[in-house]
Amino acid sequence: GAGWLYLRRQKEQRLRQRRLRDLRALALGQGDFQLQDTSGTPRSRSDLLGQWVLLYFGFTHCPDVCPEELEKLCRAVELLEEVPGLPPVQPLFITVDPARDDAAALGRYLHDFHPRLQGLTGTAEQVRAAAGAFRVYVSAGPPDPDGDYVVDHSVLTFLLGPDGLVRDCYGRSRTAEELAKSVRGHMESYEPLPP
Amino acid sequence: AARMAAPTREERTACWGARDEFWQCLDSHGDDAAKCEKLRRAFESRCPQQWVKHFDKRRDFLKYKKKLETEGYVPPEAAGKS
Repeated sequence: GAGWLYLRRQKEQRLRQRRLRDLRALALGQGDFQLQDTSGTPRSRSDLLGQWVLLYFGFTHCPDVCPEELEKLCRAVELLEEVPGLPPVQPLFITVDPARDDAAALGRYLHDFHPRLQGLTGTAEQVRAAAGAFRVYVSAGPPDPDGDYVVDHSVLTFLLGPDGLVRDCYGRSRTAEELAKSVRGHMESYEPLPP
Repeated sequence: AARMAAPTREERTACWGARDEFWQCLDSHGDDAAKCEKLRRAFESRCPQQWVKHFDKRRDFLKYKKKLETEGYVPPEAAGKS
């Protein structure tokens, strides 16, 4: 009866809390970053507080994976926009190729995807620190005679909650619909971790 | 030297289309690249060289993966290499 349901809900809540504490214990994405957006304005991680964020690391010279993952991320944001009463999700792209992806290059690239999609770049050191804060692997390949190269990197989309912590991460195999469903689930069960 | 701009959305789509046409040709000719030279040249002209290399590797990987799925893994020693 109702007693059993209550106990089950309590158990689910404890499991959720434990999972969130484990995420925090992993210190995944605890580090701050100092980058610049496509208008050149300095942005740090704390600027994202108070919002839900879907964050992807990539580069504009990427042959296929980055456009596909960005399409997927933006499609998930669109699906969530269709659900009444949900807070907006901020789609965000951070480059792993700051040598080529300056503010102007990022602006041109991201323009194609979603009107609210923002991009961040910086110096090599700043970008390295930001990728490191999210444990994102980055390795630029050897340049060809034209100076062109690809950047090997972890392919992950991170969900950040309004308290700034990573709530989930999604790989290549997840669809836009699965992303939207997962984000919605996180939003509906959101409880900020105690400080 | 001026830095090369990244391909635009239109250029990406054109590259992927040329790649897919080339791959479809290979699929229908048992991967005989000699039968698909025109499409190969179109693919190379539509895509940055780095992307051509990336897609060539991807095709090799997909073929290898298919081989694993159908034939199973054969270690190099057992394949009779001297």
